[in-house]
Amino acid sequence: MDIIEGVIGFIALLMVFRIFLTRSRARKLLYLCCLSFCISALIALYVKSPMGGIVAIIYFICSTLTSNAIAYTIEQVKDIE
Amino acid sequence: MEILDIIKLIIAGIICWINFVLIDTYFGLPEKPGVLGAKTIGEKIKEIGGNLNGGYFMGNIVCSPDASAGTLLASIMNYLMGVEGGLITALLVWIGNRLCADPGYAGTTGALTITLIIYLLHPIIEAKYFVGGMILAIFSIQGFEHKYASILLGKIAKKMNRGE
Repeated sequence: MDIIEGVIGFIALLMVFRIFLTRSRARKLLYLCCLSFCISALIALYVKSPMGGIVAIIYFICSTLTSNAIAYTIEQVKDIE
Repeated sequence: MEILDIIKLIIAGIICWINFVLIDTYFGLPEKPGVLGAKTIGEKIKEIGGNLNGGYFMGNIVCSPDASAGTLLASIMNYLMGVEGGLITALLVWIGNRLCADPGYAGTTGALTITLIIYLLHPIIEAKYFVGGMILAIFSIQGFEHKYASILLGKIAKKMNRGE
């Protein structure tokens, strides 16, 4: 295994543990953002073709859209409470 | 050989960090939350003892693809396709920005500047190291310690006259 893939994989695993250990829902989103960066990079490094790059871009943009929606919902739920 | 790899990775990380923090700050990410979700995250960071402007910066990164995303995706496409890949990324990141209701200047500028930097540096540091370096850079902001990262980002924002 390449050293770059090793470092990225280690950071991704660390983020998974921190997502489980954090109580606050808003701070989970910050760790989740870092995890999507790692997954996007790993997709591109393993699928070494232009199509892999397009998949990584689509994955990353969709994951930010999802985070956007979740953060918006957290704000709305706070108002209701 | 291993040590040379690690040195290249760290240098690429520092270049990526400076690239995306300066561009995001210049385009006013710390000034105000672009979307409602970023406001929640900023206030939460302030609650745990961080800086509000730094919190808005981190919230805006989560909620829309900004210069950080532009830097990562452009390095990926430079690694896989060469310089044309960087230009394609700028277009796709702009579309992503529009989907998230953002003007989209920060993301496209970040993608174009890192394409230029990789083009100039590719005899010394290959594009692959910039992919790993960007992960280290985003880890130092979003994944390591939120309180101190937000204070540092707040200080940079203050120095560049963005945010109070």
